[in-house]
Amino acid sequence: MISFERVSLEYQAGRFALKDVSFALDSGSFTFLTGHSGAGKSSLLRLIARLESPTSGNIQIGNIDYSRLRPRQEPALRQQMGVVFQDNQLLNDRSVFDNVALPLIIGGYKFANIPTRVTAALKKVGLAGKAFDAPQSLSGGEQQRVGIARAVVARPKLLLADEPTGNLDADISAEIMQLLMQFNASGVTVLLATHDEGLLNTFRYPRLMLNQGQISQ
Amino acid sequence: MRRRQSQEGQQTTPDASAAGSSWTYGKRGYALAHSIRQFRRHKVASTLTLLVLGLTLALPVMLLFASSSLQQLSARSLEGESLTAYLNLEVNDLQGAELAQSWLGKPGVRRTTYITRNEALSLFRDNSDIGAAVDTLGSNPFPGAIVVYPDSNTLESLRIEALAEDLRTLETVARVQLDLRWVKRLQAIVSLIQLVGGLLAGFLTLTALLVIGNTIRLELLRRRSEMEVASLLGANSSFLNRPILYTGALYGFLGGVIACIIALLALNAIQQPADDLSSLYDSSFQLTMPSTLQIFTVLAISTLLGLVGALSSLYRPSQRLTHRRENQG
Repeated sequence: MISFERVSLEYQAGRFALKDVSFALDSGSFTFLTGHSGAGKSSLLRLIARLESPTSGNIQIGNIDYSRLRPRQEPALRQQMGVVFQDNQLLNDRSVFDNVALPLIIGGYKFANIPTRVTAALKKVGLAGKAFDAPQSLSGGEQQRVGIARAVVARPKLLLADEPTGNLDADISAEIMQLLMQFNASGVTVLLATHDEGLLNTFRYPRLMLNQGQISQ
Repeated sequence: MRRRQSQEGQQTTPDASAAGSSWTYGKRGYALAHSIRQFRRHKVASTLTLLVLGLTLALPVMLLFASSSLQQLSARSLEGESLTAYLNLEVNDLQGAELAQSWLGKPGVRRTTYITRNEALSLFRDNSDIGAAVDTLGSNPFPGAIVVYPDSNTLESLRIEALAEDLRTLETVARVQLDLRWVKRLQAIVSLIQLVGGLLAGFLTLTALLVIGNTIRLELLRRRSEMEVASLLGANSSFLNRPILYTGALYGFLGGVIACIIALLALNAIQQPADDLSSLYDSSFQLTMPSTLQIFTVLAISTLLGLVGALSSLYRPSQRLTHRRENQG
């Protein structure tokens, strides 16, 4: 599903965010991306989301070779992924429903399909009753669940989560993990960046550990 | 988005009927709804910006509306213009009438009128304070005269002068009288007004463009996080830029509407004094109200202006957004 081959990302001369990173993840896998702050976790996720281009090396997602990807094809690529952020990045000037519907609007879905899909996504994260609430009126855990609903509403094959439990307490973090595991069980490949030791010790999934921009194990 | 609450406090479930207007969930509808939402959310700032735009565009719009009246003034001032060719005294009335008839065939001549020697004498007697003095001369001193009215293609001072010069070469003509000085002055004033007005209109239009550009830049800053999220969710540049373009077009259109209202009120206020002034000079000039086509033209131009202002602000930020390189993680 995801293949990195000697990938480096150099921001300035001699200053690497990632250096010679190689790994392969299977389709339908659940993998932790770990490492201390500044190790290169977000940079790696940004490379997968094609928000950055590698300085050298090759990335392949499914049958898409990034080196042959044209800039105008990048948005379509991102539409096939779901992304969950640490700070959930919800749009506070619109309802939960409209936040979750955004990927569908971007994807050009017909209106007839939008309420059904949004409802299904909100039900999965247990927030069907809060569809018309403002995101700011929700708790931190609920906001993160809205972020997850938004990430999965278009039924992506790959879910990237960047420290999704970073601002949450242990119980809520476990709930979020359960949700991500549910989506993984339905065939979605999950790559979760975290440095939460509690989470890493509780849930035994394969790990990719980054240290100063390099895979350390 | 409307809130649909079920009875007896049960959980609410979103469905198609509870969602907002379906058009707001299409790409274009989303962009338009977003633009309108921005206007509603920042009512005071948007209203002030629109007033600034309206006032800035009002003068160019007024000039555009008044330009047809000014052109009419310039053309009408020449419309009643005529040349008077005084014939030699030897030319009798029959010959004079034949000459007047034959000049009708000359290029640039619309109409000719022959004034006999006796008619000229009568006119002088009737209109002059010293009309009786002519009787002391014993004979009629006035020559026959042919009044030549140029056609519409010749209603330019240079062409009328060329026609006069042509008539002067004829042996039967003693003198050609043509006084275009006041017409030339008027045309010069009208030309100056149009030039200065055009320059001023250009500057003010540029100002409006800058106002829209600056407003859109602020809007971009406000929307930055939303654009980043949308970009991560797979939005292409069209999706990201469309709300901004619509906002610019809306600013332009609404600014144009306000400018039209201000210009119409101003024209209405000066119409009566202008007509009064015109009647004092026995002029047929009238300050006319703009046509529907002129108003639509103004709205189309102002909308286009808004689009251009938005486009000028958009190009770089949208590129920075999708290709930025920040050291994270």
